[in-house]
Amino acid sequence: MRNRWMNPIFAMLAVLAFSSVMLAQTAGKSGAKKPQTPARVPDLTGVWADITDSTPTPTFNTKEDPSFQPWAEAKWKANKNTDPGQKYSNGKVDMDPTVASCFPSGMPRLMTEIFPFEIIQIRGRVLLLFERDYAVSHIWTDGRKLPEDPDPSYMGYSIGRWEGDTLVVDTIGLKDTTWLDRTGHPHSDALHIVARMRRVTHDRLQIDWTFDDPKAFTKPWTGQSIYRYHPDWTLEEFISCEDRLLHGGESLEQKAVKGHDQ
Amino acid sequence: MKNKLLSVVMGVTGLFLVCGPVFAHHGRSNYDMSYTATVKGVVTGFEWANPHALIFVDVTDKDGKVEKWTAETNSPNTLSRQGWNRNTVKPGDQITLIGHRVKGGGNYINFSKIIFADGRELNPGVKN
Repeated sequence: MRNRWMNPIFAMLAVLAFSSVMLAQTAGKSGAKKPQTPARVPDLTGVWADITDSTPTPTFNTKEDPSFQPWAEAKWKANKNTDPGQKYSNGKVDMDPTVASCFPSGMPRLMTEIFPFEIIQIRGRVLLLFERDYAVSHIWTDGRKLPEDPDPSYMGYSIGRWEGDTLVVDTIGLKDTTWLDRTGHPHSDALHIVARMRRVTHDRLQIDWTFDDPKAFTKPWTGQSIYRYHPDWTLEEFISCEDRLLHGGESLEQKAVKGHDQ
Repeated sequence: MKNKLLSVVMGVTGLFLVCGPVFAHHGRSNYDMSYTATVKGVVTGFEWANPHALIFVDVTDKDGKVEKWTAETNSPNTLSRQGWNRNTVKPGDQITLIGHRVKGGGNYINFSKIIFADGRELNPGVKN
């Protein structure tokens, strides 16, 4: 008796389930934007950090500096670390907008910071989550174009497209108050970054960079970064300058350096 | 008096200790890297904050005078990956810290090793 009733119910459920799939597909087709992410793209998801264990590389290219316009050359000379043997070290602390003045690192400097980032791939977007500053880079992969004249921001505006196994990311709309990297290379608000991201092995992510900034550079500057996969890591929290907020505007270290009471 | 205290608590080993990311936020320029300092004392507080966790230490010299020290180390995110948490160091713990003292003679060090009274040693993280 029960089976006689169950069969029509199952049949109705099957029809409803099928029709809801049909409705969803119809809605998808009539939508304004059709995601252009291929059905199968390489998997870059996971937590990544600079491949160097002890002192991560603070820049994108350790062989040559950008070919600077004169104003940018003067800024670079003022920013760079002149201690012997410290050519590719952090820039001068008192000139550093992030360390000295608590500005966000922003892009692309975050990619040279010592803390990890996580890649998350979702429909129409790839997200880079950064431990430092809890910053997020939204890389739109839904086929949209770069905006004509975006308002400048610390993370900029990014679009991405897949070329085979490589995610090619264009970023513009960056504030010129940040350093390009930790060494103190300056840039302007005309900076256009092209990042070619590829998982070269299971635990290595390689990014080939092109930094085109006609206001600051006489020609595009290129570089490469390699990051290690950390499957057992999760992102923690790193917030700049909490020490100053807790101790009256100056860190206890700053007070100690100045010889003030702590 | 400060020199007298120094002779008690500072061990000059002549080692040049490379601390990696411990110094990554602000460089080494604020610290006397020419010798390794040792500070022994009793913990009065542990501040689990960015960009550097801080241990507050009372150091008593042989005459019984107490000086307040502040010891800075890695950031909480890096310490977490080393297995630390906000309770790893507790008030009342007797500790020895190995590191570098701030230039100018202030009671402030950046440490790269902590040794507890029972001999247990912890590294605050030389890898990022």
